[in-house]
Amino acid sequence: MRIVCVVKFVPDVDNFTYNYETHTIEREHSPMLINPDDARALGFALTMKKREPQTCIEVVTMAPRSVIPQLEDILRLGFDSATLISDQLFAGSDTYVTSKLLSSVIRKIPYDCILSGTHAIDGDTSHVPSQIAQSLDLDHLNFIHHIEEERFTCSSAVVEVEGESSYTTFEIALPALLSLTRESAYRLPYVRYKNLNLDVSERLHILTNEQLGFDPAEVGLSGSRTQVVSTHTKEHMTRRKKVVKSDDEGIEVIYTFLKSNGFI
Amino acid sequence: MKKVLVYVEDGYAQESLSLLEAVRQLYPDQHVETYALLINSDASAIDGVCDVLLTLEDGTLQPFDQKGLCDVFTSVHTRYSFDAILFLATPMGRCIAPSVSMRLETGLVADVTAIANDDGQISLIRPAYSGKIMAGIRIKGEGPVMMSIRIGVFTYQGTDTVQSTNIGLEGLDYRHGNIKVMGTKEKKIPYDIRESDVLISGGAGCSDMESLQDLADLLGGHVSASRAVVDKGIVPRAIQVGQSGKTVSPSLYIALGIHGALQHVEGLKDIPHIISVNTNKDAPICSISDIVVEGDALPFVAKLIRRIKEGQQR
Ligand SMILES: Cc1cc2nc3c(=O)[nH]c(=O)nc-3n(C[C@H](O)[C@H](O)[C@H](O)COP(=O)(O)OP(=O)(O)OC[C@H]3O[C@@H](n4cnc5c(N)ncnc54)[C@H](O)[C@@H]3O)c2cc1C
Ligand SMILES: Nc1ncnc2c1ncn2[C@@H]1O[C@H](COP(=O)(O)O)[C@@H](O)[C@H]1O
Repeated sequence: MRIVCVVKFVPDVDNFTYNYETHTIEREHSPMLINPDDARALGFALTMKKREPQTCIEVVTMAPRSVIPQLEDILRLGFDSATLISDQLFAGSDTYVTSKLLSSVIRKIPYDCILSGTHAIDGDTSHVPSQIAQSLDLDHLNFIHHIEEERFTCSSAVVEVEGESSYTTFEIALPALLSLTRESAYRLPYVRYKNLNLDVSERLHILTNEQLGFDPAEVGLSGSRTQVVSTHTKEHMTRRKKVVKSDDEGIEVIYTFLKSNGFI
Repeated sequence: MKKVLVYVEDGYAQESLSLLEAVRQLYPDQHVETYALLINSDASAIDGVCDVLLTLEDGTLQPFDQKGLCDVFTSVHTRYSFDAILFLATPMGRCIAPSVSMRLETGLVADVTAIANDDGQISLIRPAYSGKIMAGIRIKGEGPVMMSIRIGVFTYQGTDTVQSTNIGLEGLDYRHGNIKVMGTKEKKIPYDIRESDVLISGGAGCSDMESLQDLADLLGGHVSASRAVVDKGIVPRAIQVGQSGKTVSPSLYIALGIHGALQHVEGLKDIPHIISVNTNKDAPICSISDIVVEGDALPFVAKLIRRIKEGQQR
């Protein structure tokens, strides 16, 4: 079976730089992690490869070159190959352009199933998987928190999807795109000690626009269908606040407040 | 005149009214014709609210059939040519909206929290990544303008009724995807924080979420949380307040060890009373609170519980 995993590297949301001039995240200067949902998708793919060693898993990502060390570590876990789409021209791409670029690369890879995450913790749009599915004319399910391992074959899969108030089990014909959530149980192992310095360079492919051949006007900020035009701080209705300490006096203030407003 | 399509998903007719408030803010001074798309969905809540009800009844079209539903939207758009298409950010809305925007090659903005229209220049506003600022986003090109909006973010205020025209969609061109529902099971959700009158909310500065339950019980409320606590797996995502959680409007919100990042505060709507407990009295949540308790969250909870119980015994 051939699986493609689309993986996003995200800034550690508590530690990143936002460029207020261009309204973009400066990924070059931010520490990047594998998006949590995507780590689950990778974990599931690896589980399937353990069951069926002929399984071939290719990882595809669009990111700055600074993620190469993390991609190498992914390859050291036993993934077969990785493709990094990276070009200065692609910087600032919105989800539309990102999906277009990813799809153009995935289209050329043979696959029975594409796995991705559902949301990324940075933008939290969850646009990209549905957009890739649309570009490649594939069936797609989001919010998958469980895939039945025994029934995961080249022709179909049985998955459980989490909705707002219910769980639904679907049978979906493959090829299709399946997006997992971080609630799913699959974990990525650590790189084994003996593989820590394994040379994986032959399995890592970097694609720039030289290979992809897009018109620069179609990609990056200029090709995007959305554009950040302003940023501003939000005017909150600030309240006339009273500051107390957590001592007897403060507790009494809170107690009286709750009582006079009818909460107790 | 502007033509706008709102998707009214089965089971969310009442919530979909909020999309009409967004439409009003999108085109404040123009005549707008509103179309609702109802796919195997009950129309009663929006009958008399939208100008046109487009209905499609086809039991073989499965929910979450993204391919089939995307085809339906595209065919409907080809027929009517809308200026804007709006979705509620439900699990299903979140799947269909991106695929439709890709097919129509137009921009989509997720989780819009406010809309500005300055002389025809539309900007869709949502919190930016940092959690400190809001970003105004413009959709370039021909459109249509597409957006998704979380439940409870806009409040429908309209009172006028219209004579809705019912149109059964005939002869639409769409396929069926290769997915099949095998079964569903209800989730055990103890409560919906959107319906709570009092919320006792814990953040990263509150190291024991379980101890909040007693206070919630005494005040007749429920426990909610910030994303920091949800991401650690301590409490379920269903009780997360904020941009990627739920928008809540209780009468009283007690924020315990919550910083008040924009993405969190976006989830607080029309709350008459806010109390925050924080070791840092200058955290952003404090500026929107009626009373700030400067101190450690858990000892505060224990003391307040003791005081309320004392009060009950007297
Ligand atoms: C796309 C996106 C979407 C997001 N959506 C959401 C969302 O829906 N909801 C949400 O909540 N967040 C969301 N966030 C995250 C948000 O930006 C913040 O990171 C998060 O809200 C922080 O949670 P917190 O305030 O609990 O933790 P922290 O930021 O760590 O703040 C902890 C607070 O507790 C105080 N404190 C520390 N110790 C104590 C103590 N012992 N007693 C009392 N106070 C103490 C500190 O002074 C601080 O103010 C989102 C972020 C992104 C990028
Ligand atoms: N730049 C990217 N490279 C690879 N995969 C991506 C990229 N952006 C998004 N994805 C995939 O799409 C999912 C949802 O991301 P998003 O649409 O950004 O919320 C992620 O979990 C990834 O699987």
